[in-house]
Amino acid sequence: MKLLEHEAKTILSLFKIAVPSSVLVHKGKTTELDLPVVLKSQVPIGGRGKAGGIKVVKSDKKLNKTIDDLFKLDIKGFIPQTLLAEELLDIKHEYYVSMIIDRATAAIQVVAGRDGGVEVESNDADSYLTVGFGDLEIGNGKANFDSVGQALADYYDLQGQAFVLQDLVENLYRCFIKNDAMLIEINPLVLTTDDKLVAGDCKMELDDSASFRHDWKFEQTEAEVNFVTLDEHGTVATIANGAGLAMATVDAVANAGMKPANFLDIGGGANTESVMAAFAQIMEYSHVKTIVINIFAGITRCDEVAKAIIAARDQMPGLPKLCIRLAGTNYDVAKVLLDKNNIKLLPTLEACIDQALEYTS
Amino acid sequence: MSPELFNARNVIVQGITGSHGTFHARAMVAAGTNIIAGTSPNKAGESVDGIPVYKSVADIQADHVVDISVIFVPARFAKSAILEAVDSKVPLIVCITEGIPIHDMLHIRQHLIGKSSTLIGPNSPGVLMPGVNKLGIIPAKLGLPGKAAIVSRSGTLTYEAVAGLTGRGIGQKYVIGIGGDQVRGTGFIECLDLFQNDPDVDQIIMVGEIGGTDEQAAAEHIAENITKPVYAYIAGHHAPVGVQLGHAGAILGSADESASAKTKALRDAGVTVSGSITELITSVRD
Repeated sequence: MKLLEHEAKTILSLFKIAVPSSVLVHKGKTTELDLPVVLKSQVPIGGRGKAGGIKVVKSDKKLNKTIDDLFKLDIKGFIPQTLLAEELLDIKHEYYVSMIIDRATAAIQVVAGRDGGVEVESNDADSYLTVGFGDLEIGNGKANFDSVGQALADYYDLQGQAFVLQDLVENLYRCFIKNDAMLIEINPLVLTTDDKLVAGDCKMELDDSASFRHDWKFEQTEAEVNFVTLDEHGTVATIANGAGLAMATVDAVANAGMKPANFLDIGGGANTESVMAAFAQIMEYSHVKTIVINIFAGITRCDEVAKAIIAARDQMPGLPKLCIRLAGTNYDVAKVLLDKNNIKLLPTLEACIDQALEYTS
Repeated sequence: MSPELFNARNVIVQGITGSHGTFHARAMVAAGTNIIAGTSPNKAGESVDGIPVYKSVADIQADHVVDISVIFVPARFAKSAILEAVDSKVPLIVCITEGIPIHDMLHIRQHLIGKSSTLIGPNSPGVLMPGVNKLGIIPAKLGLPGKAAIVSRSGTLTYEAVAGLTGRGIGQKYVIGIGGDQVRGTGFIECLDLFQNDPDVDQIIMVGEIGGTDEQAAAEHIAENITKPVYAYIAGHHAPVGVQLGHAGAILGSADESASAKTKALRDAGVTVSGSITELITSVRD
């Protein structure tokens, strides 16, 4: 789960990490603001500044118009519900710092960059310092915060701030652990002209799998990950179960020279309703000529998918032609059902691709 | 990892009284796996199809030697179940449970350092050794005894690979799903070494995915240590960046995590890499 900037910064301040003083502006409500002010569109996507989602306002005359414009501005498909109004910082320098999980070593690491800001993402990974915490027991550790903080101070060439950075690292670590974070990125970490270190912006990603042990109430902004549009003008839609098989199905469609419209993993335990919902989503695409359905059922049952296919054919006029391959749990039941309804099954994904080529040519 | 670890007979199921645990314990027994006992914290003394239920792994060990534990415990309790098996020195632990918090896995990985247990999973379909052992949820009827070995990150693509090989009459010694989570126990490299060192394996099939850089590490390892033929497919050539990667952070080098980068690394290591799962199955020699 990706948090919005203001949600992330609220959490940072609970862990004693300095953030700019701010007010949240809600759509359609007037809010008293001190000028100058930085207005930041609260959307869960990067590249916000370049897209015009951050504005500095210095005069009263322009304030209301700027607020209105920001609430209307679509940033890569997202329209904000709130704006974060922050004090304007006097910047001496911008650094980069993040806390991540290294998959291979199963360790938490701090990544530091001497130059923060918008260009960071395109930079070479080699131009960063990565520091691990070494041998530490997750959650109750006596981590080597001091040495990691010192390493950051040396790298940033901010020896005078070593104590501050040691605290920052420790606070960041506690924040990371307490919130089941997968990523906390402070970019920029601003050094102000009066030598304070302040989190200028923050990206925070928490682990949905851990939600059972938290009382999370964040604005849910993330796009659905199981259904992803690849190309609105695609001619072949796909339905599969399991992320791997769904990706493999998209690969097979594209390898044959066709344009896949979507990626869809109906997941384990999909039922008739959820598959019907998938058909309804696919019906939104106007260029799709055929749907490739590729199911290798383990926990999922083929007969549930078959029932949805029959219902979709009967209830959805204009349903694109279907290329269906089913295998696994309850295949036999599904085959009988589909035979009765004169819906053809194909033996392999390859056969589905051949059929789809015919339908799209 | 040695072949003996997987050939061992005394298997237990942690979480045997849950619906998944019971269902799959039955399927494992039907496939010839020797399940000697199960655990359930509140149902000690009961039995599942004649399999005795104990309170803990240690209680089972008072009566039996335990070689392998297959875990079906729900995600929120899975960390303590895995740690219990590790602390009871169970040699092989196969965790099927999906949705274990990543911080729990960090803890488990640190706890495993210097311990005698091997962990496969979590979020894994488990291990199938056709005709020998079924440790998890891979349907036994998909397999055929033989000399190929499969290692895969994706559950459904594991099924595709084994069914495809069986369809061609190519049998398997090992089918191992290492699981799709970002932080897991055993990885590709340990499985590749197992396959290389087992004289009963003659060729290796590897299925990877976008995300992480485990496949590149595997490629390096193959170039230096694996002499048996390896065939591979990386799923997600046309997947949008950021969707599966989940943990983001562009500076981690997301270009490295793409299917094409992984394909190239494996090709450079001498692996036969296919562009689709169908092609992968046809590429394997008879």
